[in-house]
Amino acid sequence: MNFELLIDILIATVPLMLIFATLFAFTTWLERKALARIQNRIGPNKVGIPCTRIGLFGLGQPAADGIKMLFKEDIVPRGADRLFHLLAPILALIPAMLVLCFLPLEFPWTKSLLPIQAFLLDGAVIFFFAITGLNTLAVFMAGWASRNKYSLLGGMRAVAQMVSYEIPLVLSAVIVVMMVGSLNAAEIADAQKGFDWFVLSPWGFTAFVIFFISALAETNRSPFDLPEAESEIIAGYFTEYSGFKFALFFLGEYIAMFAISGLAVTLFLGGGDGPGLAAAPWLSVVWFIAKIFALIAVMIWLRGTLPRLRVDQLMGFAWRFMLPLSILNILVAGFAWHAQQQDSTIITVITWVASLAILYGTASGLNQLNRGNTRPRKYKYAE
Amino acid sequence: MSILGGGIFKGMAVTLRNFVGSYFSKERLTTNDYSWRPDGALPQSIADYPKEEGEQLRDTTTVTNYSRNFPMLLHDGGEPMDTVRCVACQICERECPPQCIYIEKDYDENGKYIKRPAIFDIDVSVCMSCQICVEVCPFDAIVMNSQFELSTPNRFGGLLVRRDDLLKSNDYYHKIHPEEAAARDEKMAAEKAAKAAKKKAAGEKAKAAAEKKAAEAAKAETKEGAE
Repeated sequence: MNFELLIDILIATVPLMLIFATLFAFTTWLERKALARIQNRIGPNKVGIPCTRIGLFGLGQPAADGIKMLFKEDIVPRGADRLFHLLAPILALIPAMLVLCFLPLEFPWTKSLLPIQAFLLDGAVIFFFAITGLNTLAVFMAGWASRNKYSLLGGMRAVAQMVSYEIPLVLSAVIVVMMVGSLNAAEIADAQKGFDWFVLSPWGFTAFVIFFISALAETNRSPFDLPEAESEIIAGYFTEYSGFKFALFFLGEYIAMFAISGLAVTLFLGGGDGPGLAAAPWLSVVWFIAKIFALIAVMIWLRGTLPRLRVDQLMGFAWRFMLPLSILNILVAGFAWHAQQQDSTIITVITWVASLAILYGTASGLNQLNRGNTRPRKYKYAE
Repeated sequence: MSILGGGIFKGMAVTLRNFVGSYFSKERLTTNDYSWRPDGALPQSIADYPKEEGEQLRDTTTVTNYSRNFPMLLHDGGEPMDTVRCVACQICERECPPQCIYIEKDYDENGKYIKRPAIFDIDVSVCMSCQICVEVCPFDAIVMNSQFELSTPNRFGGLLVRRDDLLKSNDYYHKIHPEEAAARDEKMAAEKAAKAAKKKAAGEKAKAAAEKKAAEAAKAETKEGAE
């Protein structure tokens, strides 16, 4: 084993983990604060500096939560599969952490290192989807190993949901891969330099919306939080988890949120592209993380706004709306790519208008088609 | 035609308004309203809370004119069972989504149905406070109560609220939900007036018809007489 290589790998990966773990702590605080404000409450505002009355807007809350989690008793239910009960939270965290390596984050200190180049392998996008798919296994493992009906229900819901939404997720990413002609995350980010972002085109925007909605479902975020629906099945697949194992699940969930937002930023929002890059190249990391946080903020905002979907609505939305739309979007993007090769302004304008009309028309048409099942509540006995 | 997904943006606008508003207007932060305290300041320790059973605390911090919890039955004052509005038609029982209402009709000693419930139970451990029973009631007999202190050591019987506990007077309704109660009274008065007018109109019509008939008969008589 090459000792220098080991050090290089540590330099490349340890900051990544530290940064995202810190961001995780900050995000839990941010989410609680934002949700509280949406509901006209104040949110955590007591935990600041210990032994004083200084609150610091409750910024100490994540640390207090972490300490509490560490000291809590780790309970494994009688009859549970002890091995898989232990493995599930670890398996939930590892893929989420692993895919962070594929994000084209250009840290200044890793510029000259070789191992970081190894992470930016040519099939990064494929690898990303392959590894995030493991999360489904972890969730179902947790549900199965707990020997609890609520856990099992949550796990089964999660499998159905994640498998369904993986298809529109991947199909919407296909558009970007098609347009750039590469699966390499760094190349995809480079292709969008100078505000040539994919989200700023009709097909790119449609793909981004589909990707974002699917990402919400993949990470079990509201309004697609059926696997952990509190009001229906307690906490879903992690009902029987306590202490640090629960914290691991929590961490894994948030890291997965960062990872999938990072992929969305890479694919559609131009990666680390932004103003001021020529003067200070290190700003690209800042832009990248700022964009991730913008997406996370929208996720929190949506959580504060939307009620949870029903299971049939969830499945219908994936198969009857998102899937046809994303397949059509691939076709539109293909034609648009060929039209762009002509290099003529008139053709580009026509392509834009036509694809806008086609995509919006299809989306509202699908919406109308699927509307048949939803009627206002009818009273059977009252008049 | 509305924009696709416009409802989501509308909802997001509402939450954004609340998010931003909570930083600027103090009235929005209802859980942080300490106006019941003499100095209006944030309580710092348990000693700052009222020592007696806190009537003010309950009134100012939790129950508003619009809060609702579980249904109650209305009567128009006096002896509750004499003026109860409910006629035991069982519409609410059948419409109730979680099926938490149980009603039995009341009969007098001759077995004749008198329009009131003999049994009216609501299992508040099952009730989901959806207010559908209130919507469907044609007699304005069931409305939402704002009482929330329902905790009980008895898990099964304690959460089954009986008829006599559900009965509340219209005055109580006016006290807890003044606007809603006034609107409901107005609506009931209007309905009553409309019904009375209809009855009167029907009576007048019958009278007019009778008069016409009499006039015709008289006409026929005069005609006959002329011949």
